[in-house]
Amino acid sequence: MDKIKVLLIDDEIEFVETLAERLELRGYISKIAGDGESGISMLAKESFDVAILDLMMPGLSGLDTLRQIKDIDKTVPVIMLTGHGATKDGMEGMRLGAFDFLMKPLDINELLEKIKLALNPSAQG
Amino acid sequence: MKPMEISKEKAAFLGRITASVSHDIQNVLAIIKETSGLMEDFFLMQQSGGLENFDAKVGKCLQTIKKQTYRGVDLTSGLNGFAHTSDVHQISIGIFGTLNRLISIAQRLFNQKGVDVSLMECPTPCSILTDPVLFQMTVFSCIECLIDIIGAKKAVSLDIQASEHGLAIRIVCQDTPLAYDDYSPKLIQSTQWTTINGLCEQIDMSAEIISDVPGILISIK
Repeated sequence: MDKIKVLLIDDEIEFVETLAERLELRGYISKIAGDGESGISMLAKESFDVAILDLMMPGLSGLDTLRQIKDIDKTVPVIMLTGHGATKDGMEGMRLGAFDFLMKPLDINELLEKIKLALNPSAQG
Repeated sequence: MKPMEISKEKAAFLGRITASVSHDIQNVLAIIKETSGLMEDFFLMQQSGGLENFDAKVGKCLQTIKKQTYRGVDLTSGLNGFAHTSDVHQISIGIFGTLNRLISIAQRLFNQKGVDVSLMECPTPCSILTDPVLFQMTVFSCIECLIDIIGAKKAVSLDIQASEHGLAIRIVCQDTPLAYDDYSPKLIQSTQWTTINGLCEQIDMSAEIISDVPGILISIK
């Protein structure tokens, strides 16, 4: 089976670099983008199985990035990352087509579970 | 501005800054959590068969945690100092220190608009007797108003000026081709400009539009 390819978009570079390394240790292929524009450009050039997107980013916001991702590829599942207290933005993201959202700080197992569900939504109970 | 209106505006300002800094603190904690998780991964791999460059990998994680801890300390200290400015309605404050802390903790809000804000060094220590929250709100509103007019991907700088005429804070954007006739009407027509003037009245200051470069001059009477 091919490795799952994940695109991580977050302006907190140390966060995404560490998360990418942890995902790679678990058999995923991870690529990172430090802002919405770079993430969109990467998605336009290559395909990803899933995108993890931070909602609060300078420049292009997470929600605007999500809109543009969905314009490029409607099928790619997007899991958003929000801070506590930003649930409203997470819900708005789901209305715009995001698969789900998670709160920062993350639980890696919860993220892995969410990725599995995003790739196989019928498994959701 | 009526007292009730001022109280509401103050609460909204304090809440906005606090929300922004707490978001940054969450990011710091998220990095520390992921990095300690990565260290756990390394230890598990080391125990079950060994991991190449184990010491270097763990050392790098520790450096990241240390760096983020310092970042967290800076954020919480800045937030704590900022929160305490609401303790009293009038006190003598150092202008440079107060603005330096405000810009530092509000930088995320400015960055989100694609703008970097900086404060120039002030060789003369200047202090004023004022309402510290209203003073910070006034300066913050001026910066935000200017950012909204000049647009993203610019740099805004603040300069404290002391002269025989008194004290002033000059807030300017150098790297924009906008002419006075372009930015001046936009500033005057913005709702923020009305708010700024309302705030200035409360703390005996005045705001005027600078003519040679897009900017606002806050004069302290």
